[in-house]
Amino acid sequence: MSTINFSAREINFKIVYYGPGMSGKTTNLKKIYEQVPADAKGEMVSLATEDERTLFFDFLPIDLGKVNGFKTRFHLYTVPGQVFYNSSRKLILRGVDGVVFVADSSPKRLRANAESLRNLRENLQEYNLNLGEIPYVIQINKTDLPDALPAEMIKQVLAPKGDIQFFEAVAQEFKGVREPLRAVSQLVFEKLAQKA
Amino acid sequence: MLEPSLELYGETFDKVEVFLDELISSSHARYALIIDLKGFVLAHHRALWAPKPPSLDSMATLIASNYSANMAIAKLFGENGFKEMVQKGDEIGVYAQELGAQALLVTVFDNSAALGRVKLFSKKTVDLINQAIGENTEARPNLDFDDNWQVSSEALLDGLFGTGKQ
Repeated sequence: MSTINFSAREINFKIVYYGPGMSGKTTNLKKIYEQVPADAKGEMVSLATEDERTLFFDFLPIDLGKVNGFKTRFHLYTVPGQVFYNSSRKLILRGVDGVVFVADSSPKRLRANAESLRNLRENLQEYNLNLGEIPYVIQINKTDLPDALPAEMIKQVLAPKGDIQFFEAVAQEFKGVREPLRAVSQLVFEKLAQKA
Repeated sequence: MLEPSLELYGETFDKVEVFLDELISSSHARYALIIDLKGFVLAHHRALWAPKPPSLDSMATLIASNYSANMAIAKLFGENGFKEMVQKGDEIGVYAQELGAQALLVTVFDNSAALGRVKLFSKKTVDLINQAIGENTEARPNLDFDDNWQVSSEALLDGLFGTGKQ
């Protein structure tokens, strides 16, 4: 649910990057942080282990600017992808407005992609949310791997109905990073405009 | 859907600003914030003598997440939750207390303030805020998030990230 702060005249959206471990969720946020001008972003916070695996979450606040006198703000989060951090993933999903699911193109991670998507659906249910009703897009990351699976194969596994927007990416090179964020933001705006 | 985490606007917000100011002066705290459980800052005050605070966004996000984690821990033990949170370092302490179902009152203090005093005045402030919100009869400001708003917002997105077209 989007939140509004009447006194500060702000509309706030929470976008969560979800996906299996090592799929590139943190890399997405780091690259966005590098790209966004200094006056439009806050500090990036990472709660990570010593070997730089996400322990709780990464967080990046972004100010989009003002429309109709209201400042629009995004809080971008990643979740820890490793299977045993599910409690943390559930907590981060509280109040989510949109999801970018970051899938891994490696053949060895196809099952992990599917399991992570199923885990996302289950965790959303804890908040009485249905993935079908939440703005969400899928980024297929690491498409530059020599043995990367064809994007079509991953699409067939993750969204066989073809009703979800997909974006191929090499997040490490900032390829395909802004497009899914832009797309999920658009979906969030559309949903708000419909419900307002 | 667009909902405020707390019904803070108009006269109620003005009253709450006064309450936060009084909390700071009574407890000798550095900062007082109202944050929602999603980690957004709803209101904040700073003592005149206090140094510039760290990033409020980071602070709010970390405290809200910490609160959520503590709630989950409490539930492991069959509790409904912990009603308050205290962290105390060598110099700085943070006290957070539930404010309604979706928000927290956070008081940040240093060694010049006693924890007991911070707790006492924080609880009093929560009561005052709840009372002010309960007595509010003012209608929510009217907002228009129509297609024009959507188009303008998307234009801002393009300005920030580009259109993605090569």
